[in-house]
Amino acid sequence: MSSAEPQTLKQQVTLLDLVDRVLNKGVVLSGDITLSVADVDLVYVGLRVLLASVATLEEPRERLSADGARP
Amino acid sequence: MIHFYGVVEALEGLPEIDGVDAQPLERRRIEGLDLVLSETPLEPSEVTQDAVLAHANVVEELMARSAAVLPARFGRAFANEEELADALRAKAPQLARGLNLVRGCVEFGLRALGGVADDEPSRLSGRGYMRARLAEEKARQRLATELHEPLARLARASTRFGGASSDLLRSAYLVSREDIAAFSEHVRSLETGHPEVTIVCTGPWPPYSFADNGEGDA
Repeated sequence: MSSAEPQTLKQQVTLLDLVDRVLNKGVVLSGDITLSVADVDLVYVGLRVLLASVATLEEPRERLSADGARP
Repeated sequence: MIHFYGVVEALEGLPEIDGVDAQPLERRRIEGLDLVLSETPLEPSEVTQDAVLAHANVVEELMARSAAVLPARFGRAFANEEELADALRAKAPQLARGLNLVRGCVEFGLRALGGVADDEPSRLSGRGYMRARLAEEKARQRLATELHEPLARLARASTRFGGASSDLLRSAYLVSREDIAAFSEHVRSLETGHPEVTIVCTGPWPPYSFADNGEGDA
């Protein structure tokens, strides 16, 4: 019942959370910074493409049960 | 270049997977700390999705095999061991405190969307509109706190992320392994108790959000 939350939403948030943690959290030691802001942005752009494809794949079925509760 | 995955404690053994750029994992003791890293002859690797996922994968495996792991943020590389040692020395007390904090714990992420009903503000104008927005904002804050606080009480530490997000609540909880069941149970009860809110709980994660000081207050 309440656990019937849209699987796509959960998957998308999980992927976002993962990338967000790896790139924006965690221990920072001083050292050579190899990532530019542009690089990080690129990952997010790539991710957005991936998320979009995940959503497109599963949306038709989920839409029916998701009761419009999309982000 | 050295790619650094994290500081570990009581690691059972290196996971049998490759690291970033398909390089083998190594375990080294530097400055009294147990570290997992990989070396690459290449220039700093590009930030690709594969590299990010490889890093995440290694850290996840380390969590499964150790008493504590402090995940490193992706994106720093060190020219050699000496440079890494210097950086570790500069942060030794925080790292020791960090290990103490996260020992025996995992992290859960929470996002809550939706919540307070829109009072058709388009029908209002001027002051009425502002008042409605203000009341709505207050109600959202109250609801976010209502969701957050009981979970925070079940956690060893917690943090609320701010930022320009339209989410009702974005937060992370550092939860002791013995309390995972109780925590999940409470998330479920919040879902049932607040059908107007979409709650997405992710994890268990390695304790990324609690690995560095500044983030996450107990």
